[in-house]
Amino acid sequence: MSDPMVRLEGVCKGYGEGERRVEVLRDLDMEIGRGEMVAVVGPSGVGKSTLLHLIGLLDRPDAGSIELDGVPVASLGPAERAALRNRLIGFVFQFHYLLDELDARDNVALPLRIGGRSRREARERAGALLERVGLSGRAHHYPDELSGGEQQRVAVARALAMGPGILLADEPTGNLDRESAEKVFSLIRELHLKEGLTSVIVTHNEGLASRCDRVVRLDPASTVTHV
Amino acid sequence: MPVEFALAARYLLGLGRRTHVATVTAISLVGLTLGVLALVVTLALLEGFQSTIRGELVRLSAHARVSAASGRLLGDPDGLARRLQESLGDATVEEVVTGSCLVAGPGGTVPARLVGRSDVEGVAADRVLAARLAVGPGDTVRVLSPRTRLTPLGPVPVRAGLEIGEVIPREPGAGEGGVLVAPLAVVQRILWGRPAVEALELRDPADPWHLAARVREALGDRRGSLRVEGIGDLHRPLFLALALERAMLFLAVGLMLVVAALNLLCNVAMVAAGKRRDLAVLSGLGMAPARVRRLFLGLGVMIGAAATALGAGLGAGLAMVLDRTGALPLPRGVFAVTAVPFRVQPVTVAVVMVFSLILATLAAWLPARTVARREPAEGLRYE
Ligand SMILES: Nc1ncnc2c1ncn2[C@@H]1O[C@H](COP(=O)(O)OP(=O)(O)O)[C@@H](O)[C@H]1O
Ligand SMILES: [Mg+2]
Repeated sequence: MSDPMVRLEGVCKGYGEGERRVEVLRDLDMEIGRGEMVAVVGPSGVGKSTLLHLIGLLDRPDAGSIELDGVPVASLGPAERAALRNRLIGFVFQFHYLLDELDARDNVALPLRIGGRSRREARERAGALLERVGLSGRAHHYPDELSGGEQQRVAVARALAMGPGILLADEPTGNLDRESAEKVFSLIRELHLKEGLTSVIVTHNEGLASRCDRVVRLDPASTVTHV
Repeated sequence: MPVEFALAARYLLGLGRRTHVATVTAISLVGLTLGVLALVVTLALLEGFQSTIRGELVRLSAHARVSAASGRLLGDPDGLARRLQESLGDATVEEVVTGSCLVAGPGGTVPARLVGRSDVEGVAADRVLAARLAVGPGDTVRVLSPRTRLTPLGPVPVRAGLEIGEVIPREPGAGEGGVLVAPLAVVQRILWGRPAVEALELRDPADPWHLAARVREALGDRRGSLRVEGIGDLHRPLFLALALERAMLFLAVGLMLVVAALNLLCNVAMVAAGKRRDLAVLSGLGMAPARVRRLFLGLGVMIGAAATALGAGLGAGLAMVLDRTGALPLPRGVFAVTAVPFRVQPVTVAVVMVFSLILATLAAWLPARTVARREPAEGLRYE
């Protein structure tokens, strides 16, 4: 691949110290092309979330290099990493992780406000995004007044608020019933295409995985070592 | 308003759903408010008492005193007095001479300080002396001078019989011994046998605290051979004690505020722990560590500002009401005032407020610092 959106080279990541040390990712190489939608699958505990956190600049690798959109991120300081997360990356988690204190619209507006937009501008765009995920009627509902599927759709809208280049979704449908899961996945797929995103979706659902452009299988035998 | 402060305000007011933070906030708020209130009221009480003492001092003591730098008698006191009187029109200038003597009355014979002043007509004993001698107005006491007179029987001490005209209150902070005040000429005769003047005492009720400076100015080139003392110099130990009292009280009651601030620290840390995941999310959405820190700093400062304003307002109000209504009466005769006096000084209140704000900011800063250091992934583990 000539100019990938995401490039990992020799990435290692483990947790804990001494006896309790667990190596999760070992010497991992990976490239994801622009506009590609990649599914990451593998047994629980294999390091899928860890991988997503590293790509999403939520954590730092122990070794190896990561490049996002051609930028080597290792040299960036905390504030620059935060700015890059805000601008380039949209995240959807297994749980909605919306802020309880804010209604749906303000939750969606949050990345825009963090990015420095005025409250009015942020709210306008948030309202438009909620319409795109089919929740314009729910703008003033608080997270605990929404169903699981609706919460996830608000989370998707929030992930796209800043018009990011990369969408990272960690088991976005893991907690949903079949019907809601289908709705959320279709939404992600549709937005991926329309917005020209580069997406990485972690999922346990082989059916959904097969609808992505490529499936990456994390294998405990090759990537995980328990010392 | 930056979004981190908007969020801090949301957390504080519990505007959204969960009111857990709001409860915790209320507890911190009450603690700090009470601390500020206590400090304001206590200092107002102290200032009330201290200003009554200062008032008494101004009423009873000289406001400036001019004596010879050498410690001996004044040369040409009348000329000096005239000159000062001319340049300080509204001040009174009196000639004074003092010395030790023995005073005898029905209650016994005691040492006392004898003060002669040009502005008194009759003889006055202060309360302590009158009590020791068991005398009152109309009684006669015998004064024994350290000066001797040569008689055919050899040198004998000079004696005089004086009729007490009135009994006067004592100056605050006036040592142990009694004081007998008499007309200048009488005392000059007892102590010196000639018109000797030890010092000039000046009073200016309109501006007692700056009189010494004005005297120095008026003296011009004669200043060198003279010693000029202001009301503060004349009662230095008393003023020192008052300042010390204020400092100690501020420290003691200020500790209450420190405890309240520690409570705020715990509460901000609790909020930080409870909001761990939210913080990771905010950070994940691109909020820089410095802004996450500011969110918590904002939390502490908002609580601190609200508590400070509330405590200062309530404290000042309470002190003023207690002072106006005289709700706390004092036993008559012991103090110069009939009810516990409170005096709210804007400067003192400002100092308390700044102190409280600094403490609250510090209290929030400590947990804020640790929070902002974490990588967001740490807060995102699924429990
Ligand atoms: N912060 C952490 N501290 C210790 N161990 C961790 C931490 N995060 C992840 N792990 C461990 O790393 C391994 C991979 O975790 P994770 O990436 O969440 O797996 P997956 O998402 O594939 O289920 C697991 O064994 C998990 O217990
Ligand atoms: Mg996971």
